Amino acid sequence: MRWIGALLVAVLLAGCARGAPAAGDFRPAVAGELTVATATLPLPGFWEEPGGFEYGLAKALADRFHLRLRVVRVPFERIVSGDLGGADLALSQVTATRDRDRVLDFSEPYLAAPPAGLARSAIPDLAAARDTRWAVKRGTTLSAILAGFIRPTTPPALTVDERAALTLLAAGSVDAVLLDLPVALVIADRSGGGLRVAVQVDSDDSLAVALPDGSANREAIDSAVRAFTDNGTIDRLAKRWLGAHLRGTEPNIPVLGRGR
Amino acid sequence: MSAPHGPAWEFLLLFVVVIGGPLLLERARVPGIIGLLLGGYAIGPNGLGWISRANDTLPDLGQLGLLYLMFVAGVELDLALLRTYRRSAISFGLLTFAVPMVAGTAVGFVLGWSAPAAFLLGSLLASHTLIVYPLIRDGGLGSDPAVATAVGATVLTDTLALIVLAVVSGTTGSNASTWVVVVRLVAGFAVLGGFCFYTLPRAARWCFRRLGGERTVRYLVAIAGFLAAAVVAEVFGIEGIVGAFFAGLALNRLVPNEGRLMDRIDFFGAAVFIPVFLVSVGLILDPRVIAEPRTLGLAALFVVACLGGKVLAAWLAQVLLGFTRARAGVMFALTAPQAAATLASTTIGFQIGLFGTSVVNAVLVLILVSLVVSPIAGRRFMRRLPRPSDTERPLGSRVVLAVSTVDPPAEIFQLAARIAAPDGGVVHPVLLRRESDPAHDAAAVSALETMANAHGVDGAAAVVVDRSLAAAVAHAAAAHLATLVVVDGPMWSDRAGAAPPAPVLEFRGEEGALLHAATSDDLAGEISRRAATPVDV
Repeated sequence: MRWIGALLVAVLLAGCARGAPAAGDFRPAVAGELTVATATLPLPGFWEEPGGFEYGLAKALADRFHLRLRVVRVPFERIVSGDLGGADLALSQVTATRDRDRVLDFSEPYLAAPPAGLARSAIPDLAAARDTRWAVKRGTTLSAILAGFIRPTTPPALTVDERAALTLLAAGSVDAVLLDLPVALVIADRSGGGLRVAVQVDSDDSLAVALPDGSANREAIDSAVRAFTDNGTIDRLAKRWLGAHLRGTEPNIPVLGRGR
Repeated sequence: MSAPHGPAWEFLLLFVVVIGGPLLLERARVPGIIGLLLGGYAIGPNGLGWISRANDTLPDLGQLGLLYLMFVAGVELDLALLRTYRRSAISFGLLTFAVPMVAGTAVGFVLGWSAPAAFLLGSLLASHTLIVYPLIRDGGLGSDPAVATAVGATVLTDTLALIVLAVVSGTTGSNASTWVVVVRLVAGFAVLGGFCFYTLPRAARWCFRRLGGERTVRYLVAIAGFLAAAVVAEVFGIEGIVGAFFAGLALNRLVPNEGRLMDRIDFFGAAVFIPVFLVSVGLILDPRVIAEPRTLGLAALFVVACLGGKVLAAWLAQVLLGFTRARAGVMFALTAPQAAATLASTTIGFQIGLFGTSVVNAVLVLILVSLVVSPIAGRRFMRRLPRPSDTERPLGSRVVLAVSTVDPPAEIFQLAARIAAPDGGVVHPVLLRRESDPAHDAAAVSALETMANAHGVDGAAAVVVDRSLAAAVAHAAAAHLATLVVVDGPMWSDRAGAAPPAPVLEFRGEEGALLHAATSDDLAGEISRRAATPVDV
């Protein structure tokens, strides 16, 4: 009798598993469509029209879930405050932090993105970094690193987006812009030698897909990111659009260690 | 001051969990493996967050631990039992693989999973780990035919499960056509098999002879061996754990279960590598996910498919192979536990994006249930089995090599090793001394051990002092529970006045050997065959 009872309980529980996909179930907000939010469009290497690393990643997600892709612009401040503007997820070079984790869900990381300084000349060490005039996008982990670790003697210029910071650099109003390493590498690569990645900050910061807090789609997105990492999709996208190493730091660029 | 961070902090957390996790849970009579999983959860991103999701160090170490685990699984298997009980082991191996495999695959398809996910689920439910074997063996049933059959079947079951894993992971996410993938996998298995079962043992033997005087070198050669096999596997798109497992099988005969090299492999595995793997799996564990009805439902299905499949397979073995109900019960207890191979396949499935956290957590529940059920079943059915009378241990299981000098001829080491090898036995070199002889030199004993190691003899050297060399031979045989004593020269005669507990083989160089105190007429022939030297009685 005990075994029959145990079997009945097992069957009842098993009923709860009906329709539980192996790698998680993705349910879009709009049927048939994967809506992806991003803040800066276009952004060299990441969101080009068409193409780019994050565009390619969004397309791969849409293909995996058999959905059409739709991209919407949502300001970065709204994204990191938890408002994706109705999108299913955001791909906008977002780094997962504890504060952001309270208002968003994050997938497994898809790209290592330690902070890096883009400048015209080398920045060999922390002392030189402190004497440099910086620009950085406000409200980002980069601005926090600039203020908390590098601590430049001249207060940094806080801009609304990367483009504004790069404009200041081009105008000579600042000496360097703090960016995620992959973004910095792309811009340096396309500057025709005018700019270089002058310094990196030691960090295990990584970019991740941002989802609405409590999203039921997180498991499916995590499985997708792992699958893309395993089957080389992310490698191929990074080589094509970023020309970058994916893990850790670039070998020939000075690295500033930091306490965390 | 800053918050703790960096590699030192991460390793400190890791080793605190490795030490404390099992200790805490074993007090509550919960298997230590659960403590490691829970410890990983506690320090991971779903728990206290001390190890972040972006951390690479622990997952990379965990991957090494996984390879080590599969290597140990292969090297520990008793291939001699598989040879002895070949027919029943193969039959039962196919049953205990096929039934849960079919059940698990059916569960996957009923849930609407893709074919790769369904087949992978089937294969991970079909594998098993011999966690209950020490319990059965310590109960005196190690050589029972049912136990030997189940142990031998493990080779087949785990190999088939890993082959399915290799095919699934090789075809998942590949853009090549199915035929290209199949050809690549077939070629890969052929190359891997050739590397593991031909090249690796010969290379290891060469290294042991030339470099193996140092204990650490022998251990490192074993490590390099399985890592090389894993690399070869991955070159062909086969999971590295398949290579590591095959390397274990291939080096099985070179690593006797009672030898010091096995002791070292076990030590580092139990102390570092395998716990690190389990902690890294615990990073994925999420009790909130486990508590979800969907996860519990999956776990219930997995438990029914796996344990139900194993019960059915044991019952079929009872019917088809003529085992008693009690023996079939023991076979179920031995093949029910889900641990190493199951975790390995689940981890791979998770890494390649076939399985989400719900499935992983459901499998962890299955593992826990199986680890609770199988020892209970084992104890219950063990009691009903007749204890065997003093059965003969295999000839080569414990060979004592008794020498009276510290530089005996190399041939005697090779002779002893050849006799021990077919039974996976260990050779213990023993230096004999009369009470009237000068005290032995510790450096010389160490040199004897180094020489022995170089000739593939893995046992620790010892010194035995007695009133005569013949008495010392008897003393050494009794102390080491020898199944055979090989002596260097006429140290023994039947008129010695001391009866040895094992036959004594006197090595006579080119003239062959002389066997004393033979226990059967066939023994001389068997020794002669193994040693490839004429043996007189």
